[in-house]
Amino acid sequence: MAKYGGWAGKVLRVDLSTGRIWTEDTVEKYKDYLGGTGIGYRVIWDEVPASTHPFDPANKIIFAVGPLAGTGAPCNGRTAITTLWPTCWPQPLVATGHMGGQFAAELKYAGYDAIVVEGKAEHPVWLSIVDKQVQIKDARHLWGQGIRRATIQISEEIGPEAAVAAIGQAGENLVPLSVVINSFSHSAGGAGGVMGSKNLKAIAVHGTGGVRIFGDKAEWEKLIQYHLSLLGANNQHVVPGSPQPWAEHYNPASRWVASRGRKWEASTPAVETGTCEPHNLNRIAYRTNNLAYFLGPGDIGWKYTVRGNGCTGCPIRCHNVLKVPSVSAKYGIPEVGQNTCAGLFFGRAFFQNFPDGPKGLTAIESCMVGMHLADDLGIWCNYSQLQRDFIKLYNNGTIKSKLGEKESKSYSWDKYEKGDPSFLFELLPRIAMKEGELGTALGLGTGYLLERWSIPEEEWKKDSKTCYWKLGHPRHHTSDEAGQCGVILNTQFNRDAQCHSHTNFTRNGLPFEIQKQLAAELWGSPDAVDVIGAFKPMNVYKARFAKWSLMRKELHDALSLCNYMGPWVASPLKERGYRGDDSIESMLYSLATGDRKDRQELDQVAERIFLLHRALTIRDMGTKEMRTQHDTIPEWVFLDPAGKPPFTQGTVHMDRNDIQLAMDMYYDEMGWDRATGAPTAAAYRRAGLREVAEELGKRGLLP
Amino acid sequence: MKEEAHAWEETRQVAASIIRKRSEAGHLTSRREILQELIEQNLLPPCPDEPVADADLQSLLKAATEENEDLKELLGQDGVPRYFSVEFLSETYARILLHKEGDPLDMIAEIVRENSAKYPRPTSLETLQGPPFDLTADQIQDCLEQMQGQAGYEDIAQIRTSAGTVFLYSATHLDPAYASMLAEWLDVGQFNSP
Repeated sequence: MAKYGGWAGKVLRVDLSTGRIWTEDTVEKYKDYLGGTGIGYRVIWDEVPASTHPFDPANKIIFAVGPLAGTGAPCNGRTAITTLWPTCWPQPLVATGHMGGQFAAELKYAGYDAIVVEGKAEHPVWLSIVDKQVQIKDARHLWGQGIRRATIQISEEIGPEAAVAAIGQAGENLVPLSVVINSFSHSAGGAGGVMGSKNLKAIAVHGTGGVRIFGDKAEWEKLIQYHLSLLGANNQHVVPGSPQPWAEHYNPASRWVASRGRKWEASTPAVETGTCEPHNLNRIAYRTNNLAYFLGPGDIGWKYTVRGNGCTGCPIRCHNVLKVPSVSAKYGIPEVGQNTCAGLFFGRAFFQNFPDGPKGLTAIESCMVGMHLADDLGIWCNYSQLQRDFIKLYNNGTIKSKLGEKESKSYSWDKYEKGDPSFLFELLPRIAMKEGELGTALGLGTGYLLERWSIPEEEWKKDSKTCYWKLGHPRHHTSDEAGQCGVILNTQFNRDAQCHSHTNFTRNGLPFEIQKQLAAELWGSPDAVDVIGAFKPMNVYKARFAKWSLMRKELHDALSLCNYMGPWVASPLKERGYRGDDSIESMLYSLATGDRKDRQELDQVAERIFLLHRALTIRDMGTKEMRTQHDTIPEWVFLDPAGKPPFTQGTVHMDRNDIQLAMDMYYDEMGWDRATGAPTAAAYRRAGLREVAEELGKRGLLP
Repeated sequence: MKEEAHAWEETRQVAASIIRKRSEAGHLTSRREILQELIEQNLLPPCPDEPVADADLQSLLKAATEENEDLKELLGQDGVPRYFSVEFLSETYARILLHKEGDPLDMIAEIVRENSAKYPRPTSLETLQGPPFDLTADQIQDCLEQMQGQAGYEDIAQIRTSAGTVFLYSATHLDPAYASMLAEWLDVGQFNSP
């Protein structure tokens, strides 16, 4: 029997250029990096030379999961996809995308912790994985098909139990803004074009095995029940959105929208959510309804809700299945669809108004049209930056000025201005097919789009409405909701930060005094957190909060826990003073694998993983000047439209000197060099990355 | 004597269970409702002298709330206590139910003040239309009109977001610019940062 539980034990390697398929031992080679992004960064560091283009056959794409994927641990359905990122501007750097769904569990059940794909097939292929039987199959008949048809055809061949991760026409055409999607609606943005560049249409995986839990079964089951008891709703919002009989607190900003009388009205018969008292673990799946949440407290979202949906092992069901009968006749698309968050509102986000208002039927119809088109063509919204760019470029006249008369006339702009969802049939296919100037330019991603149209990046950086941050990507939970901590986190990655550790705490819905009490216990002082719009100057506790947030994100991405849900440091339980448990990850990891690590030890592994990301960024940028060249902050963060000074109530903008202090304190917490923002040789060595330090030292990239 | 004490004990237990049962159904319970049910269950005789019976019941309920940690008492605006069990109704929810029994102007003002002070956040009119407040748009509008110029509600103010949603806040706890920023975040900002 294997020494450790949790890991499946093998990393599957596929060279599409040669057709060679082989495996490596996961524990032997990658245990110190856990899994997920840890394996991804390690493979890129070891095997992909600096300056490789994302679409070059020498680039590799790593689909990796962690030791908790496929177990009974809640929220374990995430697959991390690591590669050199085609939308990272002005030069591609390493980044990751993350898809939920059923792929992670199936991969484990088939016996693998990761798939590393390299090279380029001579013609379109798909990868068939059924336990030990791995085959590269002809996909010429699938090339040119959307994701839906490709998924169905592959499922017919391999069996309905398989999880199929496929690209659409956008990925085939090497559109940088493209996704890979498994289970119809679970997407990872940015990686579709890399698959397309390898002529890889899809990976389908089905496993008949299981995941061995090292520890005592009863103890494991007890731990799972304990973890479940700490769960809130989506984004770990721990109080309900409206007053409930059992709840001491409520917060309309919460995604815990269930209530007595609230029904999934498009179900037959309608299903009432009930009050979802938190001790009733069988009702967790009823707490969240993101369609209702995003459409506000009225009835419209509930009217079209069929049910929730989601990933393996996750009771949250953050995806919504919705049924909108009118779209079938009006737009010729299926009346049922599903997605969550930015994917759910892909179509709506293009429009600036609708004939029946922002919460009317047309708004929902635009969601349906956008969702069906984008999830079939495989277009990525870049966390809604695509839509924000489109709106700004339309409003300032750039689009019409950049298009020739013939192309401009080929669009029904009157439809767009009226909020007619059928406009999306004109726009989205052209992005996927790289048709015309507009379709081609929009599909590039913000950085390359601005460069193509000779628009200075600074214009985006000073306009808060663009939400643009840097490197061609938007902000993701930054200063407007988490002050300096949000700023720090948004400087660290090569795409949008995708970090939810901090925001899942600051937006958990609890009254501020309780948040401060918990913050004091977690990060040493109640001053680690501020209430939104009443930010206070930087302090060392905020730097600790930022580091903790970053480490937990990396840890989740390596273990296959969902960072859209964790960490679980607050809970809905009054009897616990609304405390969660900061050690839940280490308890799950230790019991599942048998490799006992406490919270701090596991956070040190997370730090090792992130240091590899940092080292890759430094190596590929060819500079150690991270502070000035990489960890940059857009101008809009420091601007207040009303001219209010920083740190006064009612403004979310930051103070320049204070943010410099914030970066100093963050680098100190990480043990990095303040002047350059680069990790020192000692920092790498402490993390067990001596060879990385040596390599960077040879290149003159250590501070 | 022993029998009498035993009967008294049983009555207390039944009174406690009446409160819990009504709490589970989402209701506060008045003394009158408890009295009525105890009489229906033949645990108390029909009483010609209500004040005397009520006095007895008061001491019975005092003992019941002392014995049972989950049982709580809230004083209504009419000076009459209501009872509930925190096993089924939080104190926050019980207070809302109590507000609903009284003047809707007071309910709106108190909810708005509590939200402005505690979280802090302004309160959208849509929130007041949902359960358990269940006010109609017209009722809310009437209340807001009545509040204007009426003593005791001077701190209740309105703001409108860029999406046109109206929020209320208490100027005692939030300054206008701060309330406006928070309302904009709740109504627009947070949905652009999903």
